[in-house]
Amino acid sequence: MFWRMITKTLIRQKGKMFMIAFTVILGVSLSTAMMNVMLGVGDKVNRELKVYGANITVRHKDAALMGDLYGLTEGQGVNDKFLHEEDILKLKSIFWGFNILDFAPMLDGTARLEGVGDVSVVGTWPEKHAVLSTGEDLHTGLKSLRTWWEISGEWLTEDDNNAVMIGHLLASQNNIHAGDDIVLNGKTFRVKGIYNDGGQADGKILMTLPAVQELTNLPGKVSSIEVSALTTPDNDLARKAAQDPRSLSPDEYETWYCTAYVSAICHQIQEVIRDGVAKPVRQVAESEGTILNKTTLLMILITILSSIGSALAISNLITASVIERSQELGLLKALGAYNWQIAALVLVEVMMTGLIGGILGYFLGIGFAQIIGQTVFGSYIEIARMVILIVAVILFLVTLAGSIPAIRYLMALKPTEVLHGK
Amino acid sequence: MENRTRNGSRRRMYLKMVSSSLIRRASRLIIAVLAIAIGATILSGLVTIYYDIPAQLGREFRSYGANLIVLPRGDAKITREVLDDLRGLIGTEKIVGMAPYRYQTVKINEQPYIIAGTDLAQAEKNSPFWYIEGSWGNAEDTSSVMVGHEIAQTLNINIGDTFTVQGVRYGQMAEASRQDLSAEENQKRDLGAQNFSMKLSVKGIVTTGGAEEGFIFADIDMLDDLIGDTFRADVVECSVVADAAELSALSSRIERDIPALQPRAVRRLTQSQDIVLGKLQALVLLVTVVVLIITMISVYTTMMAMVAERRREIALKKALGAESKLVMGELLGEGVLLGFIGGALGVFLGFEFAQRVSLNVFGRAINFQWALIPVTIAVFITITVLASIIPVRKVMDIHPAIVLKGE
Repeated sequence: MFWRMITKTLIRQKGKMFMIAFTVILGVSLSTAMMNVMLGVGDKVNRELKVYGANITVRHKDAALMGDLYGLTEGQGVNDKFLHEEDILKLKSIFWGFNILDFAPMLDGTARLEGVGDVSVVGTWPEKHAVLSTGEDLHTGLKSLRTWWEISGEWLTEDDNNAVMIGHLLASQNNIHAGDDIVLNGKTFRVKGIYNDGGQADGKILMTLPAVQELTNLPGKVSSIEVSALTTPDNDLARKAAQDPRSLSPDEYETWYCTAYVSAICHQIQEVIRDGVAKPVRQVAESEGTILNKTTLLMILITILSSIGSALAISNLITASVIERSQELGLLKALGAYNWQIAALVLVEVMMTGLIGGILGYFLGIGFAQIIGQTVFGSYIEIARMVILIVAVILFLVTLAGSIPAIRYLMALKPTEVLHGK
Repeated sequence: MENRTRNGSRRRMYLKMVSSSLIRRASRLIIAVLAIAIGATILSGLVTIYYDIPAQLGREFRSYGANLIVLPRGDAKITREVLDDLRGLIGTEKIVGMAPYRYQTVKINEQPYIIAGTDLAQAEKNSPFWYIEGSWGNAEDTSSVMVGHEIAQTLNINIGDTFTVQGVRYGQMAEASRQDLSAEENQKRDLGAQNFSMKLSVKGIVTTGGAEEGFIFADIDMLDDLIGDTFRADVVECSVVADAAELSALSSRIERDIPALQPRAVRRLTQSQDIVLGKLQALVLLVTVVVLIITMISVYTTMMAMVAERRREIALKKALGAESKLVMGELLGEGVLLGFIGGALGVFLGFEFAQRVSLNVFGRAINFQWALIPVTIAVFITITVLASIIPVRKVMDIHPAIVLKGE
């Protein structure tokens, strides 16, 4: 009898039940979309922040920074320490190798540019394609680390060993254009492009790594490696570890080692690069953390606001629609139904409607989240299973909270008064 | 005359009907006002946040450091007057930090090092990403300086330790030690009028992962005194709240108005900031739009449910001889009133929310958009009125008797 009454109401009152279901769909889809976006936003923004370039640099432990400090050239006892080119691909084999997005080696040198004099040259991987021992395809190179460069002409490619790119200051001072030929140490190179970096690199010449290794007679050597890695913003543990990893307890060490803190990634890089010292570029690493934390916090607050909003809207509508049925329920009471029977009837009806609306709303919400992900970041947002549970619990509590005041109100009424229409 | 009394009593009756209908259904009205207020809170809160995001987040991006480097043109140096002109041109409210730098080679233990003299308080604002072991130097205690991590390691000095810097005063030529003098005499010459020597203590050790680790940072006035010169800066680092377009406009303004200077925007920061900030803004915009659409629909359905429930009442009025226009007018009046109360309540709740978000996330107060008050109220009046009209029109078309009979 109970179930028959419920099915009857659901069918008879389909207009009203549809209204409740509709609001539930809207509310649930809103919360689902926002929660998924909120949980995914950190990762997405982190990837966007990679446009700032490398957040870790690796150098030889003795070369350190003295080279760029005094502008001393190699061969004077400062810059004669190098890293080995064959170590570079090992970067992808560290524990957090998956978080290492891009990297490029740099070999600094000087060469005699005919008609000008000594100029700084930098050898790098403009692009690099390789297949790792794990079978993974690797595409990286400096091009992904210099997104802010303005190029007239073209980027160097992987095998452009007879071509160069020139910084715009050096090019304009000497009236060199893309397409010209220049002579470096007696060898002719084609100028493939002019780049505008807006920094020190504007006075340098960029070449492929093998070309500079040949010019400077340093086969297999690199001066530094720039690494761009996805990292977790630092906390107290990370700061403590950055000072000295040995000061950590074994448990702390494990947590630290297995979290993508920039200091942990640096530590692991040093384990694979012989004689290398990996240092976070604080300008990028630290600021990333700031932006990331702020964005996530902002999204959390917006999510909370919209979830509270939809929760109140649902519970509000349920209260309204139950109160509205006072005549029908009053009649049931007059016919001898117990209070708990009426309460159960109302609750089950509402819950069933809520369940249907909730399921539909969840999928709609995932759709919204993906629209946001595609439009803003051009990639799919990962669906967090946790959201199903959170939304389900909230929806249950909200429907309950919406029904209870209405039910209490109905029970307090006298059937005669209700039926009389007061 | 008769007509006017009739009009007057009609208006009184109208007001009485609207107000009594509101009072009689107090509990339902609370629900309606609540629904509208929630919607209005979300609308005004999110729109306020959306408007303020570029400014607020733009300031956060200043944590990446100076985005405008100003160099002197030619061999000249930057004087204090030029620096003040520059500050005036950029505008104080747009400057996060503006630090002049003067680089001076000094000798420590007969080895060359570089002291960077700067306005330390401004440098701290410019470069919040520096990790300082110990504390930042300041303009009061000028003999306490900060040294780069590299130097600290090379010299093997720690916080609180002292070291002596020596060098040649400004405009003087260094004289080589003469072979025919004793070591003592040579040392005396070094301390003579053309040379300087000063004992400095380490207040902080700078770690940045960049070239800064190879410098000593001191107060620029102290450095000027030490080398016996007036204020001359080699470079000015500015951190300006601006996007790439604003910055390039600013650069050309500086070039035009202060010919002695050569501004250079740091492309790496300006370009990247535009990209990332653009994405974040698009994110907040899209989220705002989705949330608003859903909220509006849900307020609309709630209102519709509340009006639909009054079918019998409306039908009764019609049966008693009320004109359709009158009934509609009454409902519209109610809708306007509800929209107004709910909207007004929501505007302020929404602002309160946005204010809290801004204080929590950015630590800064938010600007109140006054235009939001009429806009929010108008939007919600429209929604309530629309929500009232549609279900009521349906009732109007049906014969009252059928509705009253309950079909």
